[in-house]
Amino acid sequence: MAVREGKEQDPRIPRIASSIRVVPDFPKKGIMFQDITTLLLDPKAFKDTVDLFVERYTGRDISVVAGVEARGFIFGPPIALAIGAKFVPLRKPKKLPGEVISENYVLEYGTDCLEMHVGAVQPGERALVVDDLVATGGTLCAAISLLERAGAEVVECACVIELPELKGRERLNGKNLYILMESH
Amino acid sequence: MIFYQTTHDKTDSNIDLAGFNQTFLCFGRSKIQVRTNLGLLSLLFPSLSSRPYLSLLRLAKPFPLICKRSMASDGAEDHRLRRIASSIRVIPDFPKPGILFQDITTLLLDPEAFRDTIDMFVERYRDKEISVVAGIEARGFIFGPPIALAIGAKFVPMRKPKKLPGEVISEEYSLEYGTDKMEMHVGAVQEGDRALVIDDLIATGGTLAAAMRLLGGFSSTDRVGAEVVECACVIELPELKGRDKLGGRPLFVLVKAV
Repeated sequence: MAVREGKEQDPRIPRIASSIRVVPDFPKKGIMFQDITTLLLDPKAFKDTVDLFVERYTGRDISVVAGVEARGFIFGPPIALAIGAKFVPLRKPKKLPGEVISENYVLEYGTDCLEMHVGAVQPGERALVVDDLVATGGTLCAAISLLERAGAEVVECACVIELPELKGRERLNGKNLYILMESH
Repeated sequence: MIFYQTTHDKTDSNIDLAGFNQTFLCFGRSKIQVRTNLGLLSLLFPSLSSRPYLSLLRLAKPFPLICKRSMASDGAEDHRLRRIASSIRVIPDFPKPGILFQDITTLLLDPEAFRDTIDMFVERYRDKEISVVAGIEARGFIFGPPIALAIGAKFVPMRKPKKLPGEVISEEYSLEYGTDKMEMHVGAVQEGDRALVIDDLIATGGTLAAAMRLLGGFSSTDRVGAEVVECACVIELPELKGRDKLGGRPLFVLVKAV
């Protein structure tokens, strides 16, 4: 796991990085899957991960943390709780019980869809989008669209890991991306 | 507005929850009890929650509701439970007609209620030497991690099939129609671990029971397992008797939907 080159590195990051397990050929051959479940088995690494985000976003008037199903549900709520923001789950179709807005996005093969409850977010709210990892950026792009359609301002996207070769950073409608580490 | 029994430890007492404006009561199945200040009225219906009937209930004259409640005598705690209970939204006919769905996403939109929810679990478990919090996909992922972080435990996600990338053990469980499977990573728990199982809601108890079997090593040929100390949910639907399906393990909930 590479950490950002040329950037001053927080001393907590190496432990977080080494706690993440790489599982080859999942979900299919050739993919090196970044498994954060082993990070969650290390309470100090998990706490440090959340703290790094909380330190960045405290005091920035963020009222919404949106987490992408399902691993965004693990990192988003602790951040939301610490900064006093609402947590808004962004879900696969047909999971949210109330009235929703939907956004389609492109996968390698086919399309998928992300949904958000109507009324979860008010116009003018400042929002963060959280997920465990950014690859192509398709999911984050759909998340940003949902929040903007509801009138929120997306302040930043935050992920533990980036796969920079997949250039997800360029697909975020100009929104900034903050990550803790890269994987090449 | 749903009327909740709140449940905690110890003593029973009747309290008057005057101030609830609506007389809308929700159930999972066939019986609706409308409690009035003239006494208890039971209305039996074969299938619940036709929209017209529920609208009728809303038009009924408001009255103070009497509920049986186990309580701690602390007024602040009552306040927290009331806020939590009233922040949960009920969606009729989801995922199918006749079901009244307990929607916790509105609780998550109230930072104080969400904070209080986590605090109440943390207060209960912080001195119990819990080393593992297992959360059931997906809404257990929302409540489990904050609890784990606060008490210094590992968080272990219990997932639908084919989501976990490494070697897994799996456990089948029954649905209303058919079966489903739950998986946990091999090596996530060790012998000697003391575990909690967390989900947003307990209905029939099938999902929690499957999680307990995975954690306790019953699905594994190696039989290495944790001790499941307790199951914890925000909401219980007591009429579905999930509590009885937990192999004698205790269940702790914040609110009951009756």
